[in-house]
Amino acid sequence: MSSRSIQYTSSPLLASRTPVWRSKFVVALVAAGFAVLAGRAAYIQVLSNAFFQKQGEVRFARTLEMPATRGRILDRNGQILATSVLAPSIWAIPEDVDREPKQLQRLARLLDMPLSELKRKLEDEDKTFVWLKRQVDEPVAKQIAALDIKGIYQRKEYKRQYPEGEVTAHLIGFTNVEDHGQEGVELAFNQTLAGKPGSRRVIKDRLGNVVEVVGEQVPPVEGRDVQLSIDSKIQFYAYQRLKQAVRENQAKAGSVVVLDAQTGEMLALANYPSYVPGRRQSFKDAPLRNRALTDSFEPGSTVKPFVAALALEKGIATPSTALQISPNGRLNLGGATISDTHQYAVLTVSEVIQKSSNIGITKLAMQMPAQDLWEMYSQVGFGQRPQLPFPGAVSGRLRPWKTWRPIEHATMSYGYGLSASLVQLAHAYTVFTHDGELIPVTLQKAQGPVTGVRLIQARHAREVRHMLQLATGPGGTAPKAQTMGYSVGGKTGTARKQEGRGYSEKKYRGVFVGMAPIEQPRIIVAVMIDDPEGGKFYGGDVAAPVFSETVQQTLHLLGVQPDIEVKPQIIARVEAQEAPL
Amino acid sequence: MMRVNLVLLLAVLASALYLVNVQYESRRLFTEIDRAGLEARRLESEREQLELEKRQQATVQRVEKLAKERLDMRAATPAITDYVSYQPYSGTVPAGAAVQPQVSGGRLQ
Repeated sequence: MSSRSIQYTSSPLLASRTPVWRSKFVVALVAAGFAVLAGRAAYIQVLSNAFFQKQGEVRFARTLEMPATRGRILDRNGQILATSVLAPSIWAIPEDVDREPKQLQRLARLLDMPLSELKRKLEDEDKTFVWLKRQVDEPVAKQIAALDIKGIYQRKEYKRQYPEGEVTAHLIGFTNVEDHGQEGVELAFNQTLAGKPGSRRVIKDRLGNVVEVVGEQVPPVEGRDVQLSIDSKIQFYAYQRLKQAVRENQAKAGSVVVLDAQTGEMLALANYPSYVPGRRQSFKDAPLRNRALTDSFEPGSTVKPFVAALALEKGIATPSTALQISPNGRLNLGGATISDTHQYAVLTVSEVIQKSSNIGITKLAMQMPAQDLWEMYSQVGFGQRPQLPFPGAVSGRLRPWKTWRPIEHATMSYGYGLSASLVQLAHAYTVFTHDGELIPVTLQKAQGPVTGVRLIQARHAREVRHMLQLATGPGGTAPKAQTMGYSVGGKTGTARKQEGRGYSEKKYRGVFVGMAPIEQPRIIVAVMIDDPEGGKFYGGDVAAPVFSETVQQTLHLLGVQPDIEVKPQIIARVEAQEAPL
Repeated sequence: MMRVNLVLLLAVLASALYLVNVQYESRRLFTEIDRAGLEARRLESEREQLELEKRQQATVQRVEKLAKERLDMRAATPAITDYVSYQPYSGTVPAGAAVQPQVSGGRLQ
């Protein structure tokens, strides 16, 4: 077999001449390719860079919210009544959660929920966000963070705390989970209390550190504090006494209001039954409304002093003017009968107030035109909305005098046919304590002296105060209102509750409004006990003891020296020891 | 000419490197300031928390309960209170009073 060698170098294929255009064509093609690339690069980098810049920014720029805290609510001495504390909310991305049984068990325990419930919450894997628990306490949140479970996150939130709890519940109110005021002062002063969160746009590095601020910052506006006129100590004692009285008398509810008689500042305002503002489960058992402001009732005999004051002012009577009272305890007036609990033949004006005679006050009222009576009532604030920025404060009812029938003219004088809230009643009494001037009631700490509206002469205000003192003395309707060391004065009221179209035979409301000390009143205390079922129902029996104890505590706390003699029970007096210098 | 250009080139390079360094430093400092700000806020909220706790421990309710139960105290009434009235110094020294003011109990004698 002969070897056949192939000479590649002299291949005939090589002999064919390549046309020049082919190499040129390849060069052109490659050049065109580069040109397209360069063009694209220029397009991206120069002409249409906005999209990519935005994409880049999305990856490292963040808008951070700068949270603002809600202002605090303070009492007159600067004690905290409500404040916001950090309470992180726990949330999860179900898909990402690492389901290690032991860890989940621990998490469930920290969240204070059964494991099954936690699992149910994490069940739906399609969801990208689920709240596990809103507003847990900070230490718990720290422990949860320490568990370091994948897919569990925390969001900074603030929670309202009320150290006084049920004692100030109706007054302070509460906020919702979004930190908006819902009731009470929280709602009334929401504008002031609420802060405005700010924001800033920052650049974050890979580790999550903020490295630069871009654009403009909006600084957060912190909520401002609100200082109330309430004294938390007085508030507590008033609430405690009220609670005790409502329970003892098996009453449905009760309210108490303590006003500073000289400045009109509200020192305490409490209702019972109450609720715990931090615990939402307690809301359904007790009414959330502030009865002392939102419920109006017929004030009964507590309005009699205004009729007496009007009679003094119009010159119709003096405190010692004698009035003929019906000896059988009944008075017929246009077909209706007005009756007293006791029978008197003659009573002076002072005694009419002292013994709370319906007939006596009617006889006095009938000597004056209905218009005068209406003007007096309306000037002291009945039928007017109190100037308190409180949600749901009622105006009560006082019909225009032109619509009064003669019998209504009579019943108005002893407090039937008109209605007012307990705060309105207490406010009206400032006309007596402030020497004839009606002063406005305020929930915020007073700055500077207050100016009132003069309705009656100072002399007459003093005379009425002495009548009120008689009512709490022997032979009066409320000897139980007396308190050790301080002279007091006040008026009882016992009104039948309205039921349907008429008055209930068995349901009453016992009221007592009074002041102390009588010569220079410092405080007004108004107490209302609703529907007492413990056998006693007169204002002098159910409400006056609360008044007495509240006055005692309040004047002691205010540092008022007793104005009547007390038999000292001090056994041993420690004299200042002589110490050699 | 060539030498001048070389020097300028080196200067530009040095300046560029320095710029990188300064930028880095400023970001580091900014991070630090930001962290300090966060820490301040955290401390602020912790202070609020502690203040609240302090208040919760000192509510009238609790104080009264402890005073009554643990310390066996009772509320003061006017009957067991010795009232001391205070008269501000009027400026006139009564005749006979010596150079030194007399204080009850004679502590200053």
